[in-house]
Order: sequence, then C-alpha cells, then structure tokens
Amino acid sequence: METFINPKSLFHLLLLPCLLLYSSIAYNSSPVEAAMHTNNWAVLVCTSRFWFNYRHMANTLSLYRTVKRLGIPDERIILMLADDMACNTRNKYPAQVFNNENHRLNLYGDNVEVDYRGYEVTVENFLRVLTGRHETAVPRSKRLLSDEGSHILLYMTGHGGDEFLKFQDSEELQSHDLADAVKQMKEKHRFKELLIMVDTCQAATLFNQLQSPGVLAIGSSMKGENSYSHHLDSDVGVSVVDRFTYYTLAFFERLNIYDNASLSSLFSSYNPSLLMSTAYYRKDLYKRRLEEVPVTNFFGSVMETIHTDAAYKALSRRNSGRFEDEMSLDQSVHHIKRRMLIKVNDGDEIHDINPELLQGEEGASKCPWSTFRKKFQKAENVDSLLNYGLVAMIPLLVISTWLVQ
Amino acid sequence: MAETKEKSLSDEKPKPRVRPIVRLGIFLISHSFLVSVVCCTAGVLALFLLPVLAKNTYISENALMPGSASPMLSNQHVSDGNRLVKDLTNPNSKSSETGIESHKIIAQYMLDLGAEVSFHKFHPQMNQFHPLHFFSSPVSGKIQENYSCSSYGINTVGIIRAPRGDGKEAIVLVTPYNALKSGFGEALSLGIAYSVFSLLTQVTWLAKDIIWLVADSQYGEYAAVAAWLREYQTPKFSSLSTPNAEMCPDVNNLFELKGHSISGSKFSNSFRRAGTMAAALVLKVRDQNEQFEDTISIYAEASNGQMPNLDLINVVNYLAVHRQGLRVNVEKLWPLLNSSWLKSLGEIFESLAKVAKSLYPKWKFGIPATEYVEGTATLASSLYYQALGVPTGPHGAFRDYQVDAITLEISPKFSLDKVWRNDILLRGGRLIEGVIRSVNNLLEKFHQSFFLYLLTSPSKFVSVGVYMIAFALLIAPLPMVAASLYVDANSSSNCSKGDSSTPSAITDTDEHGIAIRSWRWLNSAKLVFIVHLWGAIVSLLPYFISQIPDCSPTTSFMIWVLLSILSLLTLNSVLASPLACAKATQEKEWALVKSVTISSVFIGLGLMSVINFATAEIGALLMVPMCLLARPLKLDVRAGTLRSFCRLICNLVLGHIAFPPAAFFLLKGMLDGFGNANVGDFWMWVESLWAWNSATYLFIDLTWRAHAVVAHQSCMMFWNLDVLVLSL
Repeated sequence: METFINPKSLFHLLLLPCLLLYSSIAYNSSPVEAAMHTNNWAVLVCTSRFWFNYRHMANTLSLYRTVKRLGIPDERIILMLADDMACNTRNKYPAQVFNNENHRLNLYGDNVEVDYRGYEVTVENFLRVLTGRHETAVPRSKRLLSDEGSHILLYMTGHGGDEFLKFQDSEELQSHDLADAVKQMKEKHRFKELLIMVDTCQAATLFNQLQSPGVLAIGSSMKGENSYSHHLDSDVGVSVVDRFTYYTLAFFERLNIYDNASLSSLFSSYNPSLLMSTAYYRKDLYKRRLEEVPVTNFFGSVMETIHTDAAYKALSRRNSGRFEDEMSLDQSVHHIKRRMLIKVNDGDEIHDINPELLQGEEGASKCPWSTFRKKFQKAENVDSLLNYGLVAMIPLLVISTWLVQ
Repeated sequence: MAETKEKSLSDEKPKPRVRPIVRLGIFLISHSFLVSVVCCTAGVLALFLLPVLAKNTYISENALMPGSASPMLSNQHVSDGNRLVKDLTNPNSKSSETGIESHKIIAQYMLDLGAEVSFHKFHPQMNQFHPLHFFSSPVSGKIQENYSCSSYGINTVGIIRAPRGDGKEAIVLVTPYNALKSGFGEALSLGIAYSVFSLLTQVTWLAKDIIWLVADSQYGEYAAVAAWLREYQTPKFSSLSTPNAEMCPDVNNLFELKGHSISGSKFSNSFRRAGTMAAALVLKVRDQNEQFEDTISIYAEASNGQMPNLDLINVVNYLAVHRQGLRVNVEKLWPLLNSSWLKSLGEIFESLAKVAKSLYPKWKFGIPATEYVEGTATLASSLYYQALGVPTGPHGAFRDYQVDAITLEISPKFSLDKVWRNDILLRGGRLIEGVIRSVNNLLEKFHQSFFLYLLTSPSKFVSVGVYMIAFALLIAPLPMVAASLYVDANSSSNCSKGDSSTPSAITDTDEHGIAIRSWRWLNSAKLVFIVHLWGAIVSLLPYFISQIPDCSPTTSFMIWVLLSILSLLTLNSVLASPLACAKATQEKEWALVKSVTISSVFIGLGLMSVINFATAEIGALLMVPMCLLARPLKLDVRAGTLRSFCRLICNLVLGHIAFPPAAFFLLKGMLDGFGNANVGDFWMWVESLWAWNSATYLFIDLTWRAHAVVAHQSCMMFWNLDVLVLSL
C-alpha cells in the first residue's frame, strides 16, 4: 500500500509546480490569431528631398488629410516628410502646400503634426518606427505604438526602382528590408492587418519579398513602369501630385466616415490609361475577401461596434474572449508537451500541431493526462486553477504526513 | 589572308610564345604605312561625320524645370522698362561728358525698386603679355601701378536679396552699357533687364540673390566685367591694399557728389557682394538687324575653349524656342554655308543613310544635306572659337571663376516701333525671367550635363566621347610610324656595320657597340631639342617687341621675323656642332630625327587635347600629314622618280601650309578674300592671343617648332638657314 501511494503522491507534487508554471506562461503570452481589430494606425512617408519633388510631399500630406478626415487621430499617425516644401524659399506661397492647381485646399494648414522631418527621415528611423526599436529618449509621439489588434496603413512615396525606394537622395530601402521589418512586426504582434501602399516607379517590385500573413500591398506601377505626376501647377512651377495618389484621393473624396466602400472597389477604381501605369496589388498574404473589407478599416478608424445591453458588458466580453484565447494557448502549450512525450514513445510518428488533430488523438490515448486536461478545460480561470491546486495539496500533505507517521 | 596568317603562326610555333598584344603591335608597326593612311583618312572622315553623329540636347538636371512656371512679367513691368529706356535715350542725360548722368539715372531706378545699389570704379587694365601666365587664373598677382586718374569706368551694381533665402548664392545679370555713345540697342537691353529686375523685387520665390551689373563698356565689355569680378572674388581686407582709384581726388569728388545727389538709404559707397554665383547671363540687344524674325544668338565660348555647362544653353534654347517663339542661333562660319563641296558631301551622306535604312530599317542616322551643311558650319565655328581660346563675349570673364555664363544677343526684326519695342521687352524679359527662375530652382552647381562638347546647332551637340574618336584616329599613326622608323634605322645601321666589319672584329666590341647604338637617338633628340629651344625663343620675342613704343603691326612683325632669324644664327653659332655635324654625319639618320620629331609631336598633341581639344584637332589636321610625309628633299630630288617627285611637292606644299603665318593667311584669304590679307594682321592676331592668355599661342609655338624641325630635316641638303628661307 505504502509503496503504491508514495510514487503517486510524488508525482502529484511534481506536477503542481508545472501547472503553475504553465498558467503563468499563459498569462504573459498574448493571443496570435483571434485578436479583434481594435485600433488604426497610419505611417505616411515622403522619402524624397528637393524642391522639384514637391509632389511627393503633397501626396503624403493629401493622404494625411484623408486619413485624418476618416477618423485616425493625429497621435496614431506617424508622418514622415523628408523635406520642407512649405517653407522652401522657392515656394511662391510660403507655408502653404497644394495638391491641385486650383489652390482650393491648403494641405499645410494649422493642424499638421509632422513626426519626422527633414534629415530625420532615414531608412534607419523608418525601420525603427516599424519595428518599434527606439532609443529610450524617443518620445511616444514618434513611436508606432500599435498592438495585435491594429490595422496599419503604410503609405510611401518617393523615387523608386527595381526592389528599392530611395530615401533622401542618399540611401535606399530595399524590398528585403521592408519584408524583414514587416516580419519583425508580425513576430512582435505589432499589427493585425497591414496595408502597404506605395506610389513610386516600379512600386510592385518593392513587395516581392513580403511573406508575413495579414499583409496587403498595393503599388502604383508594375516592374519596368514609371509612375507619372498628374499635373503641373504653372503658378507654383512644379508638378503638385502624382497620378496614383491623385486618383486614390479622388476615390476617397467621395467617401465619408460612414461609407462602406470596399477595398476591392478602391482597387478597381484605378484605370491604367489614366494612371499611365498599372496599379498592382498583392493579396496572397491576406486572408479576408477584399469585397468584404471596407476601406475605412485602413484609411479610417472605424471599429466594429458591439451592441450590448449593459454598460460594461462589452468590456466583460472582451475579457472573456481574452480568456478563451488564453485557454487555447494553454492547451497548445500542453499539446506541445504531450507531443514531446509521444515522440519519446514512438519517435517515427509525425504529428501536426493543429489542436483538432491533437484532440482526436487524445480521444484514442488513455493516459492520466486526459483527466487533468479535462479539468483544465472546465476550470473557469487560472485563479481558480491555482486554488484547485492548493486545495489538492492539503489532502496530499495530510496523506503524506500520515504515511510518514 | 587568314590562311597566310595562320601559316605564319604555325611557322612561329617553335619560338617562345609572344603575347597577342605584342604581336598585334609588331604587326601594326610593320604595316605602319598602310595603317597611317587608313587611320588618317578615317580621322578626317570621322571629323566630317560629326554633324551626322550629333545628338539632340536634353535637359539633364531635374531641378531646373525650365518653363514649368508661367511667366509673371506683365505689361506693368514692361512699361517700367520703357520708362527707363526713354530716360536713357533722352538727350539731356547725355550732357555730361563722363556719362555719369545715365549711371545716376540707372542707380536711382534701382533704388526706387528697393534694391541695394553701389558703384564700382575700375581702371581698365591694359592687355599685357605675361609669358608665364597662360594657365594661371587672371587674379594671380597682377600688380597694377600706373593708373591715370583720367580714365576710369563705373559699373553700377544693383542687388536684390532673396526675401527668404540664405544669401549664399546669387544669379548675375549683366548688361554692357556705354554711357558715352550708347546705341538704342544698349538702352533696350537695359530696359529688358530693368523690367525683369522690377519683377524680381516683388516675387516671393527667390532662393538666390539677384545681381544686376550694368557694366561700363567704354573700355570694352570684357574689361568692365572682368574688373568687377576681380573685385568681387578677391576681397581686400587690409586698408593698405585698397585700390588706387581712391587716390585720385577728382574722381573721389565726383563720387561723393553723386552719393549725395542720390537719395535712399540702400545706396552704399562700398563694394557690395552677394553669395557665390550660380550662373550669369549677359544680355545684349543688337542695334541693326537684317533678319526677318526675332532671333537670339548664344555665345558660349570662354577662354581656352572652356564652355559653360550644356544645361544652361539647353535652358535658354528651350525657353526661347518653346516659350517665347524666338529663333535661336549659334555662331556659324558663314562662308562654309555656300560651299558646294560640303553640300555634295552632305548629299553623299544622306544617300548613304538612305541606302543603310533600306537595308536595315532601324538605322536612322541620316540628316538632310542642308542640315548637314549648317551643322558643319556651326561645328567649324565652334571648333574655331574653342581653338582660338579667346572668349566670344563678356561671359568669358565668369568662366575664369568657374561660373557658368553665356551671352545672349537679341536681334529684333524691326526697330523703333512702339508696339514692337513693347513686344521685344516683354518677350526678352520673359525669357530672362524664365532662365532666372529655372536657375533659381537649382540646388547645386551646374554639374549634370556636359562641359566638353561641340555644338552643331542650338539643339544638337557632339559630346567628348564622340569627337575624341576622330582625334584619336588622326594621331594614332604617329607612334606607330615613329616606332617603325626607329626600328628601321637601327636595323639598317646594324646591317651596314655587319657588312663593313669582319665577323671576328665584332665580338669584343659588340655589346659596347649595341649600347652606343641604342643611345644614338639622343643625338637626334638633341637636334630636335635645339630647334624647340629656338621655337621657344621665337615665341617669347613678342613680349620684348611689345615693349617698344609706337610700333605699327607690320613693323612689329618685321622685327619679329628679323629677330627670329638672328636668334637662329646665334644659336647656330653657339651650338654649331650638332647642327653642322648633322649635315655631314647624320644624313642617313634622318629617319631617327623624324622618329623623334613625330614622338614629340604626338606627345604635344596628346597633351594639348587634354587642355583644349579644338586646338589639338586643328593642329593635328595640319601637322600629322606634314610629319608623316616629311622626307629630306635631297633624297627625293636624287631619286628622280614620279613618286618621289609627288612626295616632294606634297612636302613643300604641306610645309608651307602648316607654317602658322602661312596657315593664317590662307585661312583669312579663303574667308575674306586675299586682297585684304596683310602681314600686320598676323601680328594683331597673335597679339590678341597672348592678350587673352590663350594656350593656343603656346600651341602655335609648338606647331612652329615642330614645323621647324620638319622643315629642317626636309632641307637638310641645304644650309641650315634654308629652314627660314623655305618657311618665309
């Protein structure tokens, strides 16, 4: 009798700390898949200097205005402008920037917050913004503080070529760099969905290396094509807007924050004969159907609203959702452990990590693990789990002391 | 051919392998005659093909964006300009004998616009020959001593500061103006400049300061601009080195008086500066004109064949043609336009191009015959002015400070009509405005486009990569012929030695003998060096001759000739041995002398092509055939065959043509008719060359020397003085 009970109690003693450890892991790690779209961010980059690149700044500022109008607040927009056209001495209209020769709209009004300006706009800073690896002194307003529920719009314009985008007339962002940064973002759960929009020559080539899921990319031109400016403002003396951006803006000008236009309607609005280039979009990494995704998911800040009866129900629902996620992760961690055990038993077997498959396997295998697992599934939360554990320890202690005596 | 080559290769197999490049070299040297004929012909042909190969100009610098902004110059500004023209042409303003009144008027107009105004007094600098200053900058250590207080010029300078600019850069607008005898054209050019200036005081888009220099051209346009630039670029910090102008009391008084009479706080007596100059435009309006439409002529050549960046010409050309509807001209050699042989050459090229196109439709290089003739005439003038090294206008002064500048000369079709005057003011003003706005957009110095080019029309150019081919082909035979001559001379002397001496006698002296023989070319080199030395003396002589007061060009030239002969005689007597001995012992070694001469000519031409391509090209055209054909006359006379006779005639003719004075007279005769040619002209021409520190003068000196050497070896049978007899 003694010999029978002893190992089991020891086993229990060993198992408990393990359980506690698992639960703590489950607390810290965040869910990957099922996060809700909770916020919107926009990173708008104009990469080129010099007066004759006026249009790039106008492009970026126009888009800045659009996303602001559609509801993304200033603190969630990172605006990077490589040069200051508004105060350029060659500007006939000091402190004003126009994107149309009718001069009806001053893009550089009172309410523009430029986060990175002039020589701050470098490849390094751009990658730092994306990956969130800043020096400690960088203020929060200059950081992309997105999380796993963020939809991010990344808009870039400048001079580009085959798989690169020129920054500041001195350095380049390569498609590898971009893909790498996006991958890091994915790993660090910095976005849920990412829309990359690029208006340069041969923009499509910039997306060649992207691999991370949840990324949708659209470029103004295919490989070997140029992206052209839309028109020249003979009063200011420069071209003021690029074609791709011009028609993008034309699409958005018709919309307001409540419109439900889909991304596919935006993408199909590009007319190659008007653009003088072929707009290219890459959607193989993107799961959702474009017809079902409203543009305001990226260009605005429109969340899915959940109607509830009670005032704080929404919050609790969010909590419960979170808990479910935690549980599933808990399971998966468990599965991994289990899998390792199985592997020890019969190493040739190849197991998928897919929870359903594992579940099926569990039904077949009858080992003491399954009872614990079921207990876990039934458990309301981790606190109660902890309590269970402690409660389970009391009889254990009693029994062991009794046995020793 | 290929078979024989293979055969020879297979024969040579047992020998140690020679590297292909060496084998090629040996092959070329052994066939040097054929190679030189082919290369020279190809070189000349390539030169005539250049107009066909010319490319269309394009604006290379993105920042310029000419014509992207609509002109802002309105009729208001034009009427401002008209007011100034009226005031200047008003007879009252010319009452003052120094022309100071009109400068006051201009200054007052500038002040009214709110510009900073200052006067710049300068003393015209006498053109002096500085034998050692050919490539130094014009500033370097020129000490000016004798100022006469009576002669001085006044430049009026107006500066607009860019309202939001950093003041680090400036654009210069120059209008030459002679207050004493100004034509209507000059007044009109001031009117155009003023209307632009009045616009620029109002605009908000200036990034660079604008300097308007009214250059007092009574001592020449170039002198005034050069004096102002010298002052601008070399600030004087200590009071000790203040210019001597202030030492003349009467001048100072005038100045003071003027200062008082002009109202305005922005007037200053001190020299005013703005930033570094991005570009400069010299604006002129021609008085009389026989053209049927408004044309604008561009002059770009600066000293020593330097050109402004092609982008500047492109911008002006683009704006004039596409925005203001003016016809753009560049200088042409007019006599060439009517030459029938060029026309037929053009037709040949045209038909060749047609044939080529019919064979392969993608070949499109033909141009119409008339276009070809015009292109050639433009190219020839482009070559000529670059080769001459004398700037074609006041813009040349800017190039000495690495500022891109051109002269625009507007030739309107009618004159004095009021409507027409407004029209030309408006169009000229808008053109200037457009160019200034375009240059204003510039972020760096002009650097994108070409600096080394030849124009074949205002919108077509031949770049350095193309025209160098013609030159390279032309001089390629020189080293080959030199090498082959050297090899021949060595081998033939070896043979003769081998025949004369017994085989046993050679053995101990052999190595020593070879060593001596391999250095034998030094004798020839010494001879060539002495002749070059003489050439150097001859070229330095004018410096001393020019010191002689009151000398007409003809007498100067005669003195020069006499002194040259004298110097040769002196040299001959002092260093008699080499020259005298040459006749006796080196009669057979003419080949070595020729080889050394050709090498030195090759080196000289090669170096010159780096300094000034056009000079080198023209020099090569003259000297290469002469050098290649040169042969002692005695040998040809002795041989007495038809071939040698032809060669003799060729030698004599080429020897005469390539002699610089002869070439000059021939050219002048061809262009102007032989009646006008005068011995003094050459003197004046040479004088102008050294006055402008033209490297061409050095080059002519080089030509002279090479010619002397060739002539010397050609006439080795005569007494040495025959060099000169033949030459003159």
